Amino acid sequence: MATKASASPSTYSPSTRRRKQERPNIKDPDWVRSDGRGFHQCRPAFLRTGAVNAAAGSAYAEFGNTKVIVSVFGPRESKKAMMYSDIGRLNCNISYTTFATSIRGQGSDHKEYSSMLHKALEGAIILESFPKTTVDVFALVLESGGSDLPVVISCASLALADAGIMMYDLVAAVSVSCLGTNLIIDPVLEEESYQDGSLMITFMPSRNEVTQMTITGEWSTQKIHEAMELCLDACSKLRTIMSSCLKEAAFASNE
Amino acid sequence: MVGLSIGEKHFIKGGIAQDLRCDGRKRLSYRPLYVETGVIPQANGSARVRMGGTDVIASVKAELGKPSRLQPDKGKVSIYVDCSPLSTPLFQGRGGEELSAELSVALQLCLLGGKSGAGAGIDLSSLCIIDGKICWDLYIDGLVVSSNGNLLDALGAAIKAALSNTGIPKVHVAAAASNDEQPEVDISDEEFSQFDISLVPVIVTLTKVGRHYIVDATTEEESQMSSAVSVSVNRKGHICGLSKRGGAGLDPSIILDMISVAKHVSEQFTNQLDSEIAAAEAREDE
Repeated sequence: MATKASASPSTYSPSTRRRKQERPNIKDPDWVRSDGRGFHQCRPAFLRTGAVNAAAGSAYAEFGNTKVIVSVFGPRESKKAMMYSDIGRLNCNISYTTFATSIRGQGSDHKEYSSMLHKALEGAIILESFPKTTVDVFALVLESGGSDLPVVISCASLALADAGIMMYDLVAAVSVSCLGTNLIIDPVLEEESYQDGSLMITFMPSRNEVTQMTITGEWSTQKIHEAMELCLDACSKLRTIMSSCLKEAAFASNE
Repeated sequence: MVGLSIGEKHFIKGGIAQDLRCDGRKRLSYRPLYVETGVIPQANGSARVRMGGTDVIASVKAELGKPSRLQPDKGKVSIYVDCSPLSTPLFQGRGGEELSAELSVALQLCLLGGKSGAGAGIDLSSLCIIDGKICWDLYIDGLVVSSNGNLLDALGAAIKAALSNTGIPKVHVAAAASNDEQPEVDISDEEFSQFDISLVPVIVTLTKVGRHYIVDATTEEESQMSSAVSVSVNRKGHICGLSKRGGAGLDPSIILDMISVAKHVSEQFTNQLDSEIAAAEAREDE
């Protein structure tokens, strides 16, 4: 007993050396992703509706370390200053908590994210169903762990469904990173920081329609084909998870 | 938006369906392009591009700065677009701000490449002078002087022309200082290095009206669009960026078709733009 206790130190001190961010050798055939996933394997998704009581609808999503919460308010009367509009308005906002990133208050450019969220959702919502009014979508990233925007978009469409806003279909979003010659789906923060390019698709599977798509970095047409197929397949699978989450919530409230 | 009667809307849509647009163009032809370089003497490089009623100015300013800690071996580029209310009253207040932000983001997406710098039109490592200490910061500013549709493509062309016009002063570093000090530098007034713009992509926006897509849409045509896809293509025929506007969703196969059409159109547009830039620089030299 005594020898065992002395072998394991009773106190510890954190190492002061910071881990150096080095680009791993991706050409190495033995390279595995930091969380042990396959290249074409998504992180496990956890989704729940009804996370915020005060909102008309809300949802919480957790994909690995990425944790977001989205609440939906409305439809409510548009601000007085707005002009008359015979279709509804959609107002989106994404913010980061100050502790979402490893360096405090470094939540990346959410202004551009807000407009991306707006563009991804506006094609899915039947805006004609609530004229003269506004629906507000507020997203908060609790922890940023990579692929933040796709997670927020999927979570937001779930929250909209929870709020009873009429939609053509749920919007599922997935991104793919290009690392050398490899395509990896659903990248984590570390992988995003050294990616050569990324492709994000937001997709309505039952209507077979892409509501938003962005590409950065250099891509050949062949590679875009490949990446799109991967994304669309993952989106369809994500949508079944999303709809089963909605069904569960509906059954639970009926009982 | 644009006040159009039902008849006018039908006329625009019908014309596009029959491959004859209101100004006599075909679906995939551009308005005449006019490029002028060196329009702003204070900037390191500048250009003005006119496409029909659309008129934009781009300027490039280079300043010495410090590289960011995350990428010590690279310079920095920032792109901003200003939609001034002088072009249309629509740009007054928030309307202009939103459009400016949207255009800036789309241009950054299309020109700056991925996080690791692959596929960037501008080689960021060439902007670095001393690793981790001094680099050039490029400030690219776009100004919309007059707007008649297709702003993104025009701004992309103007930025490419402005970069080809940009001369970055040569920098002489005084004797290597010790590790912690900021080294002294001497900026040359006479020697300039030119920018290599051969890999700067051009942006082609395909606007979908009805079942067809058109390039270089005017404001009237843009008001009838269901969605638009902007693709930036470089000389090698690789896609360097893509973004989508407009609410309506698109079938994945249509997007792939649009990408291949954009690739085809970009070849002609790149050649036309390059010859216009060369002509403009020849005029400037005279």
